[in-house]
Amino acid sequence: MRQSTAAEAVLQRRKWELPAYRGRARRIRPADLFVYAAGALILIIAICAAFPQWIAPYSPTDMMMDAIMQGPSAAHPFGTDYYGRDILSLVVYGSRDSLYIGFMSVLVGGLAGGAIGTLSGYVGGALDAVLMRIVDVLMTIPGILLALAIAAAMGPGMGNIVLAVAAASVPGYARVMRGQTISIKNRPFVTASRAIGATPFAIFWKHVLPNSLSPLLVMATLGIGTAILTGSGLSFLGLGVLKEIPDWGALLSQGRGYLTVAWWICTYPGLAITLLVLAVNIVGDWLRDRLDPKRKEA
Amino acid sequence: MYSNHRSFKWTSALLAVTLTLALALAACGNNNNNGGQAASGDASPSAGSPAASQVDGSPSAAAQGGELTYALATSPDTLDPQRSGLAVAVRVIRTLYDNLVVKLPDNTVKPWLATEWTESEDGLSYTFKLRQDVKFQDGTPFNAEAVKFNYDRILDPNTKAANASALLKPYKSAEVIDEYTVKLNLETPSRAFLGNLSQALLGLVSPTAAKKYGDQFGKNPVGTGPFKFVKWEENAEITVERNPDYNWAPEIVDNKGAPYLDRLTFKIAPEEATRIGSVQSGQVLAAETVPPQNIVSFKSNPDFQVLQANTIGLPYTLFINQEHAPWGETKARQALQYGIDVGAIVKTLYLGTYDQAWSALTPGVLGYDASLENSVQPDADKANALLDEIGWKKGADGIREKDGKKLTLRYVDGSPNREKRNDIAAIIQQQLKKIGIDTEVVITKDILTEVYTNSNYDLYGNSQVNGDPNALSAFYHTAPKGALGNLSKVSDPELDQWLEQGALEKDDAKRAELYKKVQQRIKDEAIILPIYVFPYTVAASKSVQGLKFDLLGYPLFNDVSLAK
Repeated sequence: MRQSTAAEAVLQRRKWELPAYRGRARRIRPADLFVYAAGALILIIAICAAFPQWIAPYSPTDMMMDAIMQGPSAAHPFGTDYYGRDILSLVVYGSRDSLYIGFMSVLVGGLAGGAIGTLSGYVGGALDAVLMRIVDVLMTIPGILLALAIAAAMGPGMGNIVLAVAAASVPGYARVMRGQTISIKNRPFVTASRAIGATPFAIFWKHVLPNSLSPLLVMATLGIGTAILTGSGLSFLGLGVLKEIPDWGALLSQGRGYLTVAWWICTYPGLAITLLVLAVNIVGDWLRDRLDPKRKEA
Repeated sequence: MYSNHRSFKWTSALLAVTLTLALALAACGNNNNNGGQAASGDASPSAGSPAASQVDGSPSAAAQGGELTYALATSPDTLDPQRSGLAVAVRVIRTLYDNLVVKLPDNTVKPWLATEWTESEDGLSYTFKLRQDVKFQDGTPFNAEAVKFNYDRILDPNTKAANASALLKPYKSAEVIDEYTVKLNLETPSRAFLGNLSQALLGLVSPTAAKKYGDQFGKNPVGTGPFKFVKWEENAEITVERNPDYNWAPEIVDNKGAPYLDRLTFKIAPEEATRIGSVQSGQVLAAETVPPQNIVSFKSNPDFQVLQANTIGLPYTLFINQEHAPWGETKARQALQYGIDVGAIVKTLYLGTYDQAWSALTPGVLGYDASLENSVQPDADKANALLDEIGWKKGADGIREKDGKKLTLRYVDGSPNREKRNDIAAIIQQQLKKIGIDTEVVITKDILTEVYTNSNYDLYGNSQVNGDPNALSAFYHTAPKGALGNLSKVSDPELDQWLEQGALEKDDAKRAELYKKVQQRIKDEAIILPIYVFPYTVAASKSVQGLKFDLLGYPLFNDVSLAK
């Protein structure tokens, strides 16, 4: 059911894409340009996160008190904040924590959720029933609320934010993986392996797992965007850590009191979040199209 | 949930945009500052200007009627004056209760509910004659019995009085001489006592109501004040209405009778942007604690006015915990004094709207030592030299070390970020890095545990609204044995002696001298870092007229009217 609705969506989209890009022009669709642009943007942000000192014009902690709240200019392309810190430099350095939260929480959440889902789907029976009821309960709580509650309970800290965001995404991954595992488990080639005497573990390791990973990968890619957003949200709400170098969510939060007098303090970190999440989603979408077996058949 | 990947993606993208906008615009308006301890109020004043100045031009004929909406920055804890400890609660309490006496900006004490008084020769008792025409809002007559009930109630440990009991000290007992004469006896003579009786936290509550409601009196307050309590919606608003029988206002306001306003509603709006935005949009007529960046824009807008009150007490001060090494050493503390550029911090964060503090007292308090102004200039070289001298040498990472230990400083501050205090911490962290001190900034909602129970701080800031220099005793006098100690953990026999003398000295000039000595010692020993004096600011629509402030900077609504 899950697969078929996804396929329907693809088909539906292809219906409206086909007439417009029939013929030669189909090779460089605007959609591809978006993917390249998104990829480039992610690459730039990744470089920012890895080597901020190469890109940032100033140190992010340098408070130039004779130049506070200056609008964008040649010296400070994104302006300066109320301490006189260069906002471009802050955004560049802030990318590290934002990306870290995004990737780590997806990694943790994806591994945990994927493991629960696979186990549940492959073993089935009572274990499946118990695990899925737990997941059902978790799914009744909105993700951001769950993350908020966990972050508030564990106190501020990068690790805690990652855990909070990861925990909120576990039910989703578990559900998808379970469905995928069950569908693969009942395919003829699995039955065939069993017939020739392969052990259940070998079947799982060699056949079921590799064949059920692609939806998880796609979902994880798309999840990075959500994770960055949730992490920024938690940070904005003051559940993050007060660090010398704030992440994007914290930058937004710190600048919001100045929105009417110095719009640039909030705007650029906000823009950075928006663009990164958008880029990750575009790439995730493209990846899904690539990995979707139904699409290859079409 | 995620059955359709495509719609999921667009949901996410949409969410990204909306959330970003929402984060920037909306806000999380649920931070209540419950952590504020003892009168940790917004302290106050700016140099030289007289308190209780009438900020608005006097209206020729005050219009009767109307409702004033006034946005508060935090929620009061209780409306029982004797149990409250928050400055924000006093802004409401002031409308509900009266005091025996009133203190004018020139520090003289004048009659209010007491018509006259005499002090005994030994300074151990005061006899007050009371007004005979006063009634509490529930009809209870105001008399000597009521006064005795009030002060005894503060003394009663069951009341759990907070700041009120500190202000009432050294009160011992009251004697009812006749219906309208009461004699208050003290344990020891005190110069601060009479003036303290004017403070809102010693406001007089109705004995009938206090007995009837007990612990719930704070939610059902009854006093003799110009306004009567109507309702309190938790974290939303507090409404009070005109007390038509009111006829006993003190000298500090013009309108001695019932207020002009029919109703006064205090809206609780902790989120800065919301509070300020609601004045701009006309949802409320006035809002307190205007952020510096908005003061300028309000001032240039002809539809609005910014009122600024000059209050007094202890400025916002960073206390250095001497119990934690190496801050017990004078030279280490002096290094902080020279290494931190307070002037730049105050100028940067408050954009010229706050004054820098120079002493343990604010200008306007008796004995304030103006000679300390500009007496400390930031000097990183001096700070470095001092630290070198006591053996803290810079390591490879630029942080100083001694005997294998890094020079660290644990800076504790409260949440939410009141008056940009967290930002002060962020700047100090950077400034101290330059002289090789690694500052750990800890922002916590639980100041009570972190600071007052565990003393787990090297640096912590606080302020106090108070009209008498005796307020210094609580912060700089050696704490009694077994007690947790004052914030600086300072214990200096000479300071103790001066503070004790200051509490008793009858000659104001000599008293001022004693407190000047105290302030100079505090500065010389670098016991504290005074930061800023807090101006209580109110942004209001031009139609709001006659808003005044008392000596401590609390708003007075007796004369307020709304222009049509």
